[in-house]
Amino acid sequence: MVASRVPPGMARPVAVSIAPGAILFTVFFLAPFAVLIGSSFASWGGLDFTFTGWDNYQTMVQDPVFWKAVRNTLFYSAVSIVIQVPFGVVVGIILSQKLPGWRTFRTVIFVPFVISGAAYALVYAAFYNSRYGLLNQTLSVVGAGGKDWLYDTSTARSAVAATFAFIIGFTVILVMAEIASIPRELYEAAETDGASLLQQHLRITLPLLRNVIGTCILVRLLGDIGMFDVVFILTSGGPNDSTVTLALYAYRAYLDGAWGYANAVGTTILLIGLILIVTVRRAFRIGERAL
Amino acid sequence: MLALASLGLTVAACSDDATSSGEVVITCAACQQSPTDPFLQYNYEAAQRFNQQFAGTYRIEVQQNQNAGSSPDRLQYYQRLALADDLPDLFQLNSGEIKSLQTTNKLRNFSGDLNADPAWKDTFLPSVFDALSGDDRQIWAIPQQRDAIGMFYNTKLFASAGYAAFPATWAAFEQAAAKLKARGTTALAADGDWATMLIWVNLIGTQPGGKDFLTGELDSGDYSGNAQAVKASETLRAWHNKGWVNSDAFSGDFQDAAAAYLSQSAASVANGPWFVKTTLKSKSAPADLYHDTAYTTAPGWADGERGVIVVTGAGWVSGTQADGDKAKAVTEFAKFISSPAESLKQAQATGANPPVKVETSAIANAGLEPLSTGLAKTVATTKYTYPHVRVYGPAGFGNAWKNLWPAYVKGEIDTHKFLSRLGTDATKQAGAK
Repeated sequence: MVASRVPPGMARPVAVSIAPGAILFTVFFLAPFAVLIGSSFASWGGLDFTFTGWDNYQTMVQDPVFWKAVRNTLFYSAVSIVIQVPFGVVVGIILSQKLPGWRTFRTVIFVPFVISGAAYALVYAAFYNSRYGLLNQTLSVVGAGGKDWLYDTSTARSAVAATFAFIIGFTVILVMAEIASIPRELYEAAETDGASLLQQHLRITLPLLRNVIGTCILVRLLGDIGMFDVVFILTSGGPNDSTVTLALYAYRAYLDGAWGYANAVGTTILLIGLILIVTVRRAFRIGERAL
Repeated sequence: MLALASLGLTVAACSDDATSSGEVVITCAACQQSPTDPFLQYNYEAAQRFNQQFAGTYRIEVQQNQNAGSSPDRLQYYQRLALADDLPDLFQLNSGEIKSLQTTNKLRNFSGDLNADPAWKDTFLPSVFDALSGDDRQIWAIPQQRDAIGMFYNTKLFASAGYAAFPATWAAFEQAAAKLKARGTTALAADGDWATMLIWVNLIGTQPGGKDFLTGELDSGDYSGNAQAVKASETLRAWHNKGWVNSDAFSGDFQDAAAAYLSQSAASVANGPWFVKTTLKSKSAPADLYHDTAYTTAPGWADGERGVIVVTGAGWVSGTQADGDKAKAVTEFAKFISSPAESLKQAQATGANPPVKVETSAIANAGLEPLSTGLAKTVATTKYTYPHVRVYGPAGFGNAWKNLWPAYVKGEIDTHKFLSRLGTDATKQAGAK
C-alpha cells in the first residue's frame, strides 16, 4: 500500500508534488492513448464520429496493401537484427581493442546516427538516381548496367533497407561502454588459462553483452516498427506499395480522411511493438544482471 | 493617481487594435515571406501594399505556418482549424481542397460580395469560378491566377532533328522523339508527378470525349473503363519504354524534370508560365537556354487540335462569416488582390497570369515576361481547353500516381489494374467513403 508508506502529515505535499506529473501524463499520454484505441473502433474523419465496432480491423486485414506493409515492416526489422546489430557488435568489440585511429573511426561511424532521417534519405535518393546517381555512375565505369533502384519493385525494398543497414553508431557506442565496464581480471584469468583473443570474446565478452545486445535489438525494432521518414522521402511507399511500411500506411489513411482507420493501424503497430518488446526482453533477459 | 494613470495607459496599450483605433485586423495564413516560394513572397508583398493603402482602416496580420504553400498536409491543417472554429480570415486552397473543406460549412461564400458589385464580378475572365463553386452556386474562392499550361521546348535541339517548331500532333511528336533519341537527346522531361500528369491529361484531353472524362469521370473511382484514359496511359508508357523520357522520371520531384531540361539532355518539358521565373531564369540554367526556349500549346491527336490545360483552381478563401467588420476587410482585400493593377504586379513577380481581364496595352506596358505570356494570349483561340487535373480531380491525386506509375511503366501491373487502382486510390484521397 503506497499510502501507508507516506509519513504522517506528508500526504498533501506528496499529492501536490505528484499532481503536475500526473496531469501531464494523463493529458499527453493516457488521453491520446485512449483516443487512439477508442477511435480505432469508429468511422471518424474529424467531423463525424460513429462507432463501427471491428469494421476498421476487418477492412484492414482484408486489404492486401496492409499485409504488404506488415511484411515490409518486418523485413526492415529483420535487416536491423540480422545485419545492423551483429555488425555493430563486431565493430564495437574491435574498436574496444583501441587500435591506432580508433577514436576517429568511432566518430565516423557515429555520424550517420545523428544525421536526421530526412537529410539521410535525400543523400541516398541522389545516390540511387538512375541518371546521375553515384551508384549507377560507378557501375557504368566498371561496365555493369545500372538499374532504377528505387522505382523497380524487384530492388526498391532492398535499396531502402540498404540505406540504414549499416547505421551502427548506436550499437557500437553501447557495446564499447559495456565492454569498458567488464573487469579486466576476467580476461587476464582467461589468458593465463591459454584462451585466445577470439575465445575470450566468445566466452566472456559476448555473454556479458547479452543485455546490451538485447537493448540494441529492442531499440532498433521499435524504430523500425514506426519507420516513416526514410521511406516517405525515398519512395513514398511505392512503386506499387513495394516499400510501404505500417506507419506510412497509417499516414495514407490519415490523409484520406479516414482517421479512425488510421488509428486502427496505429493500434496494430502498438500491439506488434508490445509483442516484440516482451519477446526480446524475455529472450535476452533484459534487466537481469549479466555478471 | 500616477499609478492609476499608468494602469490606464497599460490597459490601453494592451487592448484590441480594432476597438482602440478603429482599425480592423484580419489574419492571413498565406501571406508569409518565403525565400523559395515566389507566390508566397508575392502574397506577402501584396499584403504589405494592402496595409499601406488601407492604413488605419484595415490591417492584415501574417500568420506563420508550415502549410502556407502547397503541401499534402495543407488540407488537414485547415480541417483541424475548421474543427476548432479558428480558420484564418484569409488563406489559399486549390479547388480539390475547397471541395473537402466546404463540408465544414466554415468557408465564406463570396457570391454575395460579387453579386453586390457587378463591376468587380465582370472584371474576371469567363469560367474562372467554375472550379471554385459549390453545387448551389456558392463561390468559395476568389481566383489568384488563371494560367495556361503547355510545352516548353528547346528550339536548337528540335532544329537539330529537323524541326523548326514543336510538332502539331502527338503522332508527329513521336516521330520527332525517335529522331531526337537517335541523336542522343531525350524528347520529354518528366518527373513522375506534376509534369508527367500534365502530359497524361493533355493526351486524354486532346481526344474526342476526353474533356468529359477530365471534368466528370475523374471522380468516378475507376478509370479503367475509359477509352481515352487507357489510350493516354499506354501511349505515355510506351514513350518511357522507348527511352523518349528521362530515365529519372519516377522520382516525383519536379527538379529532376527541370534538371533534365536545364542540362539540355531533354528537349521539352510540360509546365506553366511560372517555369520561366522559377526555373529557366534560375542560376542553374545556362544563360543561352532562355533564348533557345519557346513556349507552345501541347499537340493534339489530330492536326489543328492542339491542347492546353487552363489552371483556374487555386484561390483565396476565408473563414470569416459572421463578423461584419472583418467580412468587409476580407472583401476589400479580395477586390484589391484581384484588381488588374495588382494582377499585373503578380505576373511580373511570379510569371503567373492574372484571372482578370487586363487591357492589352496594360500588359504591354507592364513589360511582362514574353515566354510566360505567350501561351496565355493563344488560349482564347486554342481549340481545346481543359481544366487542370488536380483542380477537377481528387485532391492528392499525385500520391496514388507516384505509387503506381513506375510499376505500370515497368510492366509490373497492366493498364486495367493501373487505372482501376489509380481511380480508386485517388477518389479515396478526395475523402470519399
